[in-house]
Amino acid sequence: MDRSLRTRLDARFGAQLTGPIRQRHDETEIRLGAGDLIEVMTVLHDDPDWEFVVLADLAGVDTGEQMQVVYHLWSARTPDWLRVVADGLPREDPRIPSLTGLWPGAEWMERETYDMFGIIFEGNRDLRRIYMPPDYTSFPLRKDFYLPDDAARSPGGGVRHVERSHVPVQATERVVRRTVKA
Amino acid sequence: MTEQSNHRPHLSSDDPRIMLDGEIGQFENVPPYPPRTEREAEFYTLADGEMFLNMGPQHPSTHGVLRVVLKINGEQVVDLDPVLGYLHRGVEKLCENSDYHHIISQVDPLEYVSSLFMEWAPVMAFEKLLDVQVPRRAEYIRVLTGELLRVSSHALYQGWMALDLGGLAPILYSFIERDEIVEMLAAITGQRMLFNYFRIGGVNGDLNHEFMSRLGDWMSRALKMHETNIALLNENEIFVRRMRGIGKVDKDTALRMAVTGPNLRAAGVPFDVRRAHPYSVYPELEFDIPVRGANGGGDSLDRYLLRLDEVRESIRIIDQCLHNMPDGPVMARLPRLLRPRPGRAWAAVEAPRGLYGTYAISDGTDQPFRMKIHDPSFVNMQLVGMLMKGNLIADTMAVMASIDPVMGGIDK
Repeated sequence: MDRSLRTRLDARFGAQLTGPIRQRHDETEIRLGAGDLIEVMTVLHDDPDWEFVVLADLAGVDTGEQMQVVYHLWSARTPDWLRVVADGLPREDPRIPSLTGLWPGAEWMERETYDMFGIIFEGNRDLRRIYMPPDYTSFPLRKDFYLPDDAARSPGGGVRHVERSHVPVQATERVVRRTVKA
Repeated sequence: MTEQSNHRPHLSSDDPRIMLDGEIGQFENVPPYPPRTEREAEFYTLADGEMFLNMGPQHPSTHGVLRVVLKINGEQVVDLDPVLGYLHRGVEKLCENSDYHHIISQVDPLEYVSSLFMEWAPVMAFEKLLDVQVPRRAEYIRVLTGELLRVSSHALYQGWMALDLGGLAPILYSFIERDEIVEMLAAITGQRMLFNYFRIGGVNGDLNHEFMSRLGDWMSRALKMHETNIALLNENEIFVRRMRGIGKVDKDTALRMAVTGPNLRAAGVPFDVRRAHPYSVYPELEFDIPVRGANGGGDSLDRYLLRLDEVRESIRIIDQCLHNMPDGPVMARLPRLLRPRPGRAWAAVEAPRGLYGTYAISDGTDQPFRMKIHDPSFVNMQLVGMLMKGNLIADTMAVMASIDPVMGGIDK
């Protein structure tokens, strides 16, 4: 854990953060709203004090109550991974600015996140499905999308009844069975 | 049914004219839907003299099932659009619906030529969630087997590279080396390809006599074999001239394209997770991070040569692991049913193709709430679109092979 990173982040971005800075193992986590994302990321990437030049990952998360986009960054100036969580995106219409201006390589990662969660990255000029076919209409990694053979949460938990015919969840019925405080 | 027969009432299904005036085989209909994005509209608009060429999905050199739509002008590639998803299995969703131990076998087939690394990052993330201390012997065994697999993966890369450029012999030599290594690993893991060997808190089974004798045998001539493989290719003029100067990418572009691994180091950035963010027992081991691209960026040849340098470093690491291997258990004591406290963890390892990471969220049950897998080939693949513009069709394969994508990982 890099305590000085926490102090520096707090001093520089304190006003923009929407939650406390958390540190565990070798990770430091900050949270912010979608509106501040580009401003904070530009400083983290361009400013010689931070130099987070490596975008290690871009992940979408559906907590069951809201959508998040999670970025992992690396810099030679700290021994920690920096996790930037852009949270509070509404599940009905999640929108967030695109990072392709800073890292053009984020394009496919954003396409993947769009494909899996339906999060719209505003400014990404090629935001179409990347894995699923173009006429596909669902977002498979959302928590109201169940696997056809998902018996894990059923009364027979842990046993997959592959022989039993399965009644798929109706598209009109949007039920989230698992949520998390993340 | 009726619609179809109304559409072309005078043609039977085996009438040869159906291929001439039907919709099949006409490039005006690619894609058969209105463009969804700005970029797609731009790509599917043809200028004078341009045409589309479909490569794949079953092209033998696409290293899996990849389709690339090339926009060509004569023999020159103007633009290209990779189409992914032919191998998509929804591994992340499967992982979110299986328990923590089960995930190890779910992620194995992602990058099937280096599957131990695919297990390593999730296992490390789960250990962070559970706050488990892995025994030192287990960490050494992980490094030892991992580096062996890196050698095998890079050996295969060398063969593939030559195969894509039309050389048939080197792949045979690569497979000799790979076969020795997978047989060795089969002695401790029981599998030749999808090892399912790492466990949360250690590894499944200690080193055994067969593994050690095979490894000793291999180590005595590993470097010599490596030199032989190099001699087979590196001074081949055709090979070198088709690679040098093709697909050049500079430092800054490589970083901004979020490229990692050998492709980034070949462009001149010394970023290797083993040193940049040390994990396991790598801080105790002595090895160098080879970097190339001194003359303003890395071309295909740099990317190829850099992997050969890495093989030497890996052999050095294996040697040190064998000398420093401590005694002790290979598994931490853990309950059989794992229920980590709610929390989040990110772990990344340096796989043969770059940074391979896992972001896991636990909600306190025996299954992860969310598991994101970051595969290096997926990101590196974007380079192909960038580097190909202006090159010849035949060079597409040279550039793509030098970037070393594995479609199992790209499509997840």
